[in-house]
Amino acid sequence: MRKTALAMLASFTAVLLLAPALHAEDTYIHYLKNKQEPADCFESRDGYSNVTRTEAEPGLPNVKCSNKTGGVLWWGDPFDGTEPMGEMPVEADYTHEEAVVKPRTGQLKYYMPCTACHNGSMVPYPKDKNPRPLAMHQDIVPDSMNLQHGQGAIWCLDCHNARNRDTLIDHRGGEISLNQPQRLCGKCHGEVYSDWRDGIHGKRIGGWDKGGKKRWWVCTECHNPHTVQEKRYDPIAPEPRPQYPRTRANADHERGHGAGH
Amino acid sequence: MSEPRDKDEKKKDAPLKPDETSRREFLGGAGLSVTAAALSGAGALLSGSDEAEAKATWGEWFQKNYRLMTEDEKREAVLRLEKRYTEEFGKKTTVDSAPAQEGVLFGYALNIQKCIGCRRCVYACVKENNQSRDNPEIQWIRVLKMEKGNFLAENMDKGYPDPAGIQVGGNAYQNSGVVLEGEHYYEPAEVPEKGHFYFPMQCMQCEKPPCVKVCPVRTTYRDPDGIVVIDYNWCIGCRMCIAACPYWARRFNWGEPNLPAEEMNPVTHYLGNRPRMKGVAEKCTFCLQRTRQGRYTACVEVCPVGARKFGNLLDPNSEVRKILDKKKVFRLKAELNTYPKFFYFMD
Repeated sequence: MRKTALAMLASFTAVLLLAPALHAEDTYIHYLKNKQEPADCFESRDGYSNVTRTEAEPGLPNVKCSNKTGGVLWWGDPFDGTEPMGEMPVEADYTHEEAVVKPRTGQLKYYMPCTACHNGSMVPYPKDKNPRPLAMHQDIVPDSMNLQHGQGAIWCLDCHNARNRDTLIDHRGGEISLNQPQRLCGKCHGEVYSDWRDGIHGKRIGGWDKGGKKRWWVCTECHNPHTVQEKRYDPIAPEPRPQYPRTRANADHERGHGAGH
Repeated sequence: MSEPRDKDEKKKDAPLKPDETSRREFLGGAGLSVTAAALSGAGALLSGSDEAEAKATWGEWFQKNYRLMTEDEKREAVLRLEKRYTEEFGKKTTVDSAPAQEGVLFGYALNIQKCIGCRRCVYACVKENNQSRDNPEIQWIRVLKMEKGNFLAENMDKGYPDPAGIQVGGNAYQNSGVVLEGEHYYEPAEVPEKGHFYFPMQCMQCEKPPCVKVCPVRTTYRDPDGIVVIDYNWCIGCRMCIAACPYWARRFNWGEPNLPAEEMNPVTHYLGNRPRMKGVAEKCTFCLQRTRQGRYTACVEVCPVGARKFGNLLDPNSEVRKILDKKKVFRLKAELNTYPKFFYFMD
């Protein structure tokens, strides 16, 4: 009898101690209160495209960032830091659409620019088109003799311009800016490219309206061209889960319905 | 209109001033306080009192359903609210009353193959649309985690006492396909998780919305651009619409909404993201405060994988129309004949 009472008291104390923790932990308000909103957000994947918080209008920031993951959660001014898409021909009826992109070169880890090293004297131009192991940049491509993208059919200089490392190269030897990688990717991925031009594949922000100003996202803002074979999109941390229903401390009621439910 | 959202706890606990009683209480109750409220409100109005709160309360009690208001009445209501919100949240707040654009029918498309379940859309929506942050926590979008399943025909008649075969329409004792029905409290370190896909749900802006059909006070209705809207002031909180919605798309403010002033989005629309009061239903409006100005919705702009698409269904060159032309598309619970304008698609 006394043992039961003690156990009850113990469990009651445990409940008392646990109850506030169970209610408050991991909820959005918890992140709001305990974590400062970061000054810089990342747009799609951390480390690929960052955006600095400024004021779009008095009292209105250009972005709001997630307290938990640091990702962009709100766009006040989606055109911050963009430039006109330029040479990119726009199909269909959207010829009068003002399409803008965000320059990639400023975001690339090794772009300073590339010709600072790859200028023919410091790192000489390759004599022939035979693949060889990389001496540097192994963090990007660990094994250049076994490049996953293209599965042996292509290697570095099929995309990178040997004569001008600040650029990419198309099928006819023409230069492609690193700010417009879609023109390179479209060489092989025609169907996806077509969808991208129609606005079906990839991301656009700004205006839905015909003729409205739109920011287009280019391929490498979401996909890492060197690892795309293994991971089409690098995993990211999710935002906090919703709060459990008022009388629940976990999501058990949702799980394990299984057969016969 | 309800009492002002005072974040100060002391003030919150203090008894309500008579003129702060809500319209619902005014209409529903027949207590002394109601009479006193009406009289003091009238008194404030008749004596030409400058007290904005008294005037606002009085005006809101007796305003019409939004769609029956004249242009002048709408302008008055909007000005009243702008003044009130600006005072309450300490920042210049605008309340838009833009009507539907002509020749526009909004449609939404979501690539179910691309969604990684990161929930950024959920919180972008919360930030944009001024939902209550905590107690009650209100989110208009729910993302379900679904198990990728394999349907096995040989499991079809397993578990029956006698081999019943395919004619009985499935197996009552053992799943032949997916076991999990979907959960939305998942919290892994990283998404997407192996073997799963994600199913975001929000208001589908049905062509034949069951929620509109059941509303006893017609506070919720469908605008010409296809958006099902709510006049929060006219809502009596009966929650019939919540029961009628087959998509789990409406939320109810069980308590006084908790919206920190520094988090409040001051660019609002009367029918959309203006701060709500206790005891009203609310839901996704395709961010009409943005989309009626030509912008994408907040969830479209924030989706890191570009799974969300939005546009004008009447424009054959819009993204949504191209998706309907080119992709495999389905609508959720199409058999209910609600004709959702929210399309799920696959590559």
